[in-house]
Amino acid sequence: MPETPLSDCDILLLLEGTYPYVKGGVSSWVHQLVSQLPHWRFGAVFLGSQEKDYAGMQYRLPANLTVLQTLYLFGEGSRPPVKPPRLPADTVARYTRLHESLRAGHAEALDFGSHLEAGDPFNEEAFLYSEPAWQYITECYEANATEPSFIDYFWTVRNLHRPIWALARATGTLPRARLFLSPSTGYAGLLGVLGAQAQRRPLVLMEHGIYTKERRVDLMNADWINDARNPLQSDPTEVSHLREMWIRFFEILGRLAYRHADPIISLFETARQQQIRDGAESTRTRIVPNGVDVERLARLRRADRAAPPAVICLLGRVVRIKDIKTFIRAAHALRQRLPGAQAWIVGPEDEDPEYSRECHELAQALGLGEAVRFFGFRGIEEILPEVGVLVLSSISEGLPLSILEGFAAGLPCVTTDVGACSELVYGRGDEDQALGTAGAVVGLADHEALAEACATLLENPDRYAQARQAAIRRVEAYYDQRQMIGVFDQLFSQRIGGEELR
Amino acid sequence: MAGIGFELRRLSRSETYLGMLRAYLYAGVIGSGPWVLSILAILILGVMCLGVVLPASKITDFQTSVTWLIALSLIYSGGTQLLYTRYVADRLFEGEKKRVLPNLLGILLTTGLPLLLASVPLGLWLLPDTSVAYRLLMIVSLNLLNTVWVLTVLLSGLKRYRLLLVLYLLGYGGSVALGFSLGKMGLGMEGLLLGFASGQALIILGSLALVWREYPPARLLEFDFLRAGRAHLWLLPIGLLFNAGIWADKFLFWLSAGTGLRVIGDLHASTIYDTPIFLAYFTLIPGMAMFLLRMEVDFVRAYDRYYSAVRDGGALTAIRTFREQMVVTAREGIYDILKIQGFTVLVLIALGPSLLAVFGIPRLYFPLLAIDSVGVSLQLLVMAGLNILFYLDRLRIAAAVSATMLLANLLLTYLSLLLGPFFYGYGFVLAMLLSCLLVLTVTDRALDRLNYTTFMLG
Repeated sequence: MPETPLSDCDILLLLEGTYPYVKGGVSSWVHQLVSQLPHWRFGAVFLGSQEKDYAGMQYRLPANLTVLQTLYLFGEGSRPPVKPPRLPADTVARYTRLHESLRAGHAEALDFGSHLEAGDPFNEEAFLYSEPAWQYITECYEANATEPSFIDYFWTVRNLHRPIWALARATGTLPRARLFLSPSTGYAGLLGVLGAQAQRRPLVLMEHGIYTKERRVDLMNADWINDARNPLQSDPTEVSHLREMWIRFFEILGRLAYRHADPIISLFETARQQQIRDGAESTRTRIVPNGVDVERLARLRRADRAAPPAVICLLGRVVRIKDIKTFIRAAHALRQRLPGAQAWIVGPEDEDPEYSRECHELAQALGLGEAVRFFGFRGIEEILPEVGVLVLSSISEGLPLSILEGFAAGLPCVTTDVGACSELVYGRGDEDQALGTAGAVVGLADHEALAEACATLLENPDRYAQARQAAIRRVEAYYDQRQMIGVFDQLFSQRIGGEELR
Repeated sequence: MAGIGFELRRLSRSETYLGMLRAYLYAGVIGSGPWVLSILAILILGVMCLGVVLPASKITDFQTSVTWLIALSLIYSGGTQLLYTRYVADRLFEGEKKRVLPNLLGILLTTGLPLLLASVPLGLWLLPDTSVAYRLLMIVSLNLLNTVWVLTVLLSGLKRYRLLLVLYLLGYGGSVALGFSLGKMGLGMEGLLLGFASGQALIILGSLALVWREYPPARLLEFDFLRAGRAHLWLLPIGLLFNAGIWADKFLFWLSAGTGLRVIGDLHASTIYDTPIFLAYFTLIPGMAMFLLRMEVDFVRAYDRYYSAVRDGGALTAIRTFREQMVVTAREGIYDILKIQGFTVLVLIALGPSLLAVFGIPRLYFPLLAIDSVGVSLQLLVMAGLNILFYLDRLRIAAAVSATMLLANLLLTYLSLLLGPFFYGYGFVLAMLLSCLLVLTVTDRALDRLNYTTFMLG
């Protein structure tokens, strides 16, 4: 019997562009999880583009985060020395076959272990320097490219593929863990798959957003993809082949992670459905929503039957995706019915200064004066007790913590129908729905409906009280952060325990 | 949001190809143009002074001395010439004009100082039984010539052919005039040498003034070329081997007991070999003109078009077409050189004997002249091939070709010396033929694989 090898940590986190070097939702979640599960030893691998892109540690690492590795996928000098390898005669045919099966959705066609070996037609030297690779790339360009620029095509192909070998190489030097946990697919997901396979350990995938979808949005808007050097040549309705290559690449990475991960966790039902559409097996999918510190926020609640102040409040950054303008128009409409009503916008304004300015101008043009207030960044303890209804006018969301925080503080919510919002207002599943409706859901950019829903709540004490009850019960039953932590704690025990018995 | 997608933007375009399109300034005349000119001048000087100034033996002393000076200085500066021209080309491409002059002085200092130190014992050792003035003038001239070559190659690299020609005419004209009058004043061979040295000094001053005007410096002296990655060190062995390869057969003929004899100090010359081989270099003039036209104009244009298509997002079909056009211009250039040299050699064979008679050169030299003119024509083709390799940045291959040329010339010339007078010249021709076939083969392969190597190995 070989001795059980010692592990460097219990759970290895694979973090792409997040914790601990970049602040954000996923990073907070990771920090929370690690901090609140001190009995597990965590390790982390940070995947970044180049070292100079990051400003340094953004969090104080908890004591139980025992290992931290960093890996830069596009770092300088990571290229092997220029030496064209000798390859078998059927190499081009093998490239063709692999890509055909990848396009058909068979991610298992990749065999990373052998692709690192010297002389393998799929190793990095072969990809970078061999004549068959050149031949295959030019053939693909001729068959598929919709833009003439060959150099852009060529470098898109190179940059797309290069991290694969960096990840495959890094697999061998990963800390030894008993469980791999990746909060995204993409490169981190791939490293998770490779590490879990190499160490014969389970992989848990937890998606906060849908990586593939986010990448799709990034790439559609990316101005760094040189796909239309001549504006006359490009058809704006057509997705350029270069963009499509990136998207398809991330889709393949996504499918790979879905194939190997168990469970595949998402935050809410719509996200789970999207995962299934992207290739996740439904039996392995699972929903573990984010949670808030209900105990702490409960202290912000008003007395049960106290009349709500005529204040609607939006918690969020002043950026286009939050559609602040609809909120301002709704404030205007609301004041037609409730002349004393106020609208507050609480969140930093420095991210998109031009949009912020437009919002201020709109409020002025509508003659709202003091009725619309921009607070900038403020602590919620200060704000929530003074608010009647929480509003979210976003055009895109995941599982917004601000709604949960409002719920915990006893505030109903009027929100657009995005992400998990309708699940939060109406409940997910029968038991949850039985708790009642915690506000209202309206269509995108429909300021009339938004104002109407707010007015109904503020004018009608019974409706308000009922929504408030539903909000409090729902957040207590399903979105307490201790619960989320507990679910993961249990999950870790299960997956690690099961693995040890094997 | 998780992911590093946004950071990828900086990587989507590679800057690699900016480096590919250097404003390449390799002059076609590298290593050969200037020295053909100078040999010409020496011969003219000799002919002019013949019988007027000095006894014929003193003229031979002078010609031998200068030939040795040219040979040694060209071999010594061969690497520097290439290294510095390329350095300038790279800097000009980057728009760093102000680096040209301070680094020129830097490189002249770096290579000139050791030469100066070495030339003193060399003058003592190689030139026994000669006057102090002669030795001093030889030492000075060697160092002047070393500087002249670097400057010449710089100016011809900058395509200032006309100015260069004027400078050379002035320099050598001055040499001749001064040498002539000094000779008349009874200063003898030392007078001729002083005239020569003064002419070189004139060329140096003129060239420096031109460079100064063209590239006003920010500071006087700089050693930027010594920094890692700023200079292409492979050019050093290429220049050294190529120039040594050009002179190998001459040295063997000079130093071999049967064919060479001591002329002045320990400097040897070869009565049988020198006149025909140096005359043969005159037959290069039409080929050189063709070379300049075809290589430096047509080929460079095709080359620019190719790399512009690569860098500026041309379609693959366009890139392929431009590569093919490049091959076509290269091929046409080589064919044209072949044609015009073939024609020249034919004319020489037909009219050579009578031409020799006109200039009062013994007809005895004719067979060797005919053979050598074939050899120098082939040597021009080797240069054309090397030039393409320089443009394509295949420096290691170019070094291998130069090394082959040197070895073949040494070996085959030595063999021809062993085989006897009937074979003289054939060693040189055969060596050049071999080098020519080699360079054309590797150039063909380099051009053939250009698309692949540019993108995948660039």
